Amino acid sequence: MSNQGGVQYSKIAEIKGPLVIVDGVDNAAFDELVEIETTEGERRLGKVLEVGNGKAVVQVFEGTTGLSVSGTNAKFVGKVMEMPVSEQVLGRVFDGLGRAKDGLPEPVADSFLDINGAPMNPEQREYPKDFIQTGVSVIDGMLTLVRGQKLPIFSGSGMSHNILAAQIARQAAIIGTDDSFAVVFAAIGVQYSEAEYFKRSLEESGALKRSVLFLNLADDPAIERIITPRVALTVAEYLAYDLGMHVLVILTDMTNYAEALREISAAREEVPGRKGYPGYLYTDLSTIYERAGRLKGKKGSVTQVPILTMPSDDITHPIPDLTGYITEGQLVLGRDLFRQGVYPPINILMSLSRIMKDGIGEGSTRADHQEISNQNYDAYSRAQEVRALAGIVGKAGLTPVDLNYMNFGDEFEKKFLTQAIDENRTIEETLGLQWNCVSKLPKNELTKVKDKYVDQYYKE
Amino acid sequence: MSSNSGLESTIDQVLERNSSEFSQSLKNSLTDAQKTLSDSLPMLEEEYEKIIADGKKEADKIEKQIIGSADLQSRNKTLLIVQESTDKVLEKAKEKISNMDRNSEYSSLIAKLLTEATSALNTSDVIVFTNSKDKDVVQSAVSNISGAELSNDTIDCMGGVKVTSKDGSMSFDNTIDARIELLKPLIRKDIAAQFNLGNN
Amino acid sequence: MVAQGKIVWISGPAVKADGMADAKMYETVSVGDSKLIGEVIRLTGDVAFIQVYESTSGLKPGEPVVGTGDPLSVFLGPGIIGQIYDGIQRPLKDLAAKSGSFIGRGITTTPVDMTKEYHFNPTVAVGDEVEAGNIIGTVPESSLIEHKILVPPDHQGGKITKIVSEGDYNLDTEIATVEKDGQTSTLMMWHKWPVRQPRPYLKRYDPTVPLLTGQRVIDTFFPLAKGGTGSIPGAFGTGKTVTLHQIAKWADSQVVVYIGCGERGNEMTEVLVEFPELKDPRTGKPLMDRTVLVANTSNMPVAAREASIYTGVTIAEYYRDMGYDVVLVADSTSRWAEALREMSGRLEEMPAEEGYPSYLASRLAEFYERAGRVQARGSPERDGSVSLVGAVSPSGGDFTEPVTTHTMRFIKTFWALDASLAYSRHYPSINWMNSYSGYLADIAKWWSENISKDWLDIRSQTYGILQREDTLKEIVKLLGPEALPDEEKLILEVARMIKIGILQQNSFDDVDTYCSPEKQFKLMKLQVDFYNKGQQALKDGASLADIRSMNVISLLLKARMDVKDDEMPKLDKIETDMIEQFNSVTGVKVQN
Repeated sequence: MSNQGGVQYSKIAEIKGPLVIVDGVDNAAFDELVEIETTEGERRLGKVLEVGNGKAVVQVFEGTTGLSVSGTNAKFVGKVMEMPVSEQVLGRVFDGLGRAKDGLPEPVADSFLDINGAPMNPEQREYPKDFIQTGVSVIDGMLTLVRGQKLPIFSGSGMSHNILAAQIARQAAIIGTDDSFAVVFAAIGVQYSEAEYFKRSLEESGALKRSVLFLNLADDPAIERIITPRVALTVAEYLAYDLGMHVLVILTDMTNYAEALREISAAREEVPGRKGYPGYLYTDLSTIYERAGRLKGKKGSVTQVPILTMPSDDITHPIPDLTGYITEGQLVLGRDLFRQGVYPPINILMSLSRIMKDGIGEGSTRADHQEISNQNYDAYSRAQEVRALAGIVGKAGLTPVDLNYMNFGDEFEKKFLTQAIDENRTIEETLGLQWNCVSKLPKNELTKVKDKYVDQYYKE
Repeated sequence: MSSNSGLESTIDQVLERNSSEFSQSLKNSLTDAQKTLSDSLPMLEEEYEKIIADGKKEADKIEKQIIGSADLQSRNKTLLIVQESTDKVLEKAKEKISNMDRNSEYSSLIAKLLTEATSALNTSDVIVFTNSKDKDVVQSAVSNISGAELSNDTIDCMGGVKVTSKDGSMSFDNTIDARIELLKPLIRKDIAAQFNLGNN
Repeated sequence: MVAQGKIVWISGPAVKADGMADAKMYETVSVGDSKLIGEVIRLTGDVAFIQVYESTSGLKPGEPVVGTGDPLSVFLGPGIIGQIYDGIQRPLKDLAAKSGSFIGRGITTTPVDMTKEYHFNPTVAVGDEVEAGNIIGTVPESSLIEHKILVPPDHQGGKITKIVSEGDYNLDTEIATVEKDGQTSTLMMWHKWPVRQPRPYLKRYDPTVPLLTGQRVIDTFFPLAKGGTGSIPGAFGTGKTVTLHQIAKWADSQVVVYIGCGERGNEMTEVLVEFPELKDPRTGKPLMDRTVLVANTSNMPVAAREASIYTGVTIAEYYRDMGYDVVLVADSTSRWAEALREMSGRLEEMPAEEGYPSYLASRLAEFYERAGRVQARGSPERDGSVSLVGAVSPSGGDFTEPVTTHTMRFIKTFWALDASLAYSRHYPSINWMNSYSGYLADIAKWWSENISKDWLDIRSQTYGILQREDTLKEIVKLLGPEALPDEEKLILEVARMIKIGILQQNSFDDVDTYCSPEKQFKLMKLQVDFYNKGQQALKDGASLADIRSMNVISLLLKARMDVKDDEMPKLDKIETDMIEQFNSVTGVKVQN
């Protein structure tokens, strides 16, 4: 920004919801950072949403509670919101706006980065194709995570998404032979206990010193949630592209983020899209999710595992819906599986990893990986049909082949899908289990795998 | 005696049978015991291994945790020392500035701070505040700007000016305190570099 | 006189400037000190409403706005093929050279390298009369495209008074001069054309030639014609992008324009990585040599997303005017509509359904109307076509939302993607009951003349089996399959075989990814034969179990992957096997 800024205005025209409208402003820029000073001298941060004709609409991250029209000052800082970054951020805990929260001084910055980042040039992207072993069979085997991918977990309230994310973070971190991994964890409006669980999990695996935590907890200001994923990703990008680390970013819970966005949109009286969410929710979410990736000529990578809880488990709700259109697949947790006590309760039929095909196969995992995975998909989908049919006509109405598929379904859920929270399976074990499952079927049912693999791996 | 001998032989027979039964059952229980023992051995071994593995896992966890947190702790101590040093350096600097000579160089600094402020506010119809020490220097700078006046009230700062539009709707803080606040991150970076904390 | 105003208001990509009385609608303007690119989209008094194609972060009221005098236009000339552009035709490679891995702001570039020399071969001579649209020379642009140098459509024509001889020239060279009524004008190897204005043509033809994509469910069941329009709506995860990539890869057109409009960055990267490696099945040349990419990913500025569609279709029309068949794939028109909605919201226009502007339908109609098979203007006489395929991303997979419903009014082929098919990994997940093609009757003649006169009949029989199965499924759901008589069980069986052996197609399999029309027909014919023979066998007393255990079934199912396009005799072999096996099933029964 060309002008230094720093002017403080005291004419507040209106305060509504999270917005403060400042009057008589003739020196402010779009997107500029604003410091709001309350009558009591408390300072809050905000940014310019709209400026012109002497007015500036300022969104206050820490809420407008306690602000009054008289006595409130707004200082336009002269720059966009920035996050101080350096290697020193590792092992630290920040609040939702990126300020130290662990009782230690602010980290010493190597540079200050615009938290909005800039769009990656698609031509400069490196196509993601490096397999990440998470040690979770269903992910490694059928929904492979790849470095630079964005693969969200679609969950519902109360399900085990955080346990799964923590397991991924722990195990993916440990396996990598090179040491230059890092975990960036952003808690967006989650409960203290959930954030604490995650922190302890990282601590116990010794990964805390390679992690950065941003915590906006359930009782922290809601509008701050707009910023939390952005500061987290700014740090992640710095660690990845400036320091060459492989960064895994966990964002939980994106539903809270979208709700904060809706709150602002409502306060601005914008024409709403579906379910009251702003029409630009897709574009806005993309400015978060698209910050995953790899770049030509840079060593590091940013892999995102955002978590969102689907309101009433509804996958067509705007938040999971628009997320699914942006991310490269999704891991959907199933309520039924969860109720049956299956962990991880991933519903594979609704789940998908779009760039799996490029991260697996000969040279990275095993030549039969894609085909055995396809066969398991096919068989599980058939098993579900048979189960539904059996519910109507009873087991007696099933053909012998149908019964094979039922056996397959049981084996699949009990032996392959189910796994302990601290169980870290190798890819060889995972593929072996997949073959165990399909070996419950007669050989001629295996139409998705080449005969040579059947000869090699099928268990009579 | 014959009856006796009959009785004896009967007793002998009974005894013999019993002893063979007894020895048989003894044998049986022995093999049973042996079987139980040999059966339970691998189970025991498994159990034992599991206990060891669990212990190892736990020890592993604790070891990692300790190593991790030890690294962190030492890093965090350095951070605190850097912070302390920064504070000390800043303290010294502030002291120096407060006691600085109000010479011609200083008045031109004040003049610069003042014009910066009025241009930021986009008006020279302003009231200027400063501390008691700088009143004279600021007064002479203010008199060069038409519309600007120096307030009788003073503010608590090291030096420099704070400028407010006459209607009170805008203000611009250009005190030296405010300027230092802006520079703080850079100062800290310099000091941190001395501790070799910048890039490890 | 160019407009010179000042910014008075900023909200995201929308900027108002006053002092703009001289500005024209849709004029390109330079916004602010950092010279961002914008376009005037409304004029009220001297206040111009501008959509800015770059991030406005840090922009302040009071900064200048300067008009360029020109509407948003694209550069049309050699060097476009193989490029990847952003929404306003800036080459992404050049942006990277100037601002690194992330896209900076206020960067100006030329759409092609003006200093590169092309081998120009004149086709007219001094003294020839030319008119708008005439070809005056050719330039080899890529291994697949001979670029025709055209007299611009808005040129008044005249007599050639000078033309350069065959040789290598860069794009700054004046290659010809034309005189008319004493006025002389010069011609370059390129010209510019405003993106929002369709390029003119001489006349329009009915679409009667199929656009072959090598995808069975498309070509055989729901075909698109050259110059036609198609839409592919689908919830996320239904394989929309893979299907579009397949069309872009294998369509039998000479030029492909692929627009990534508000979609994932990695998808464009995938095209960039894959296409240079892939060979065109008809020419053996790299696919990139016929492809132009326009990438305005979801996180790039939203206004440029709106422009990207027009940039793409104007480039497509330009190659059509050279006499080429062009396919334009736009992924996704929903994101384009959302960009419209966002700008409309900032303009505080009265919203229609779901916040979309009331002109959404007319904008969609205008876009799809730019498709067509035409005779180009000027001589020599030549025909070209633009086929438009637009993806739709209905929110929540709901086909009754505004973008899907309006799109359906303006397109003739509808490929409905189905989430439940995708969940069971049936790809492409095009639902055969909900999809339709309005071109079937028009292109049946082509199939009958070029592939087989039985095509339409066999196709109807195949589709009939699928329709019967759809009805029977309802009964099965209630009563289980055993409740059906054997003839109907056979329908279920064959429908399953058609789904696996024909409708499903593995785009990652080297053989299956592309299927020639001959093979498509033969596979379909084999299934129909199997069905008819099966029904006959049942009548002759064979049991369903016997038919089910025939090993020709697995051959039929795997033929799509096992038999290459040039191995058609293998399919004849399957046919003989089938006849033999049916003979033996019925034979055994007869003996009994």
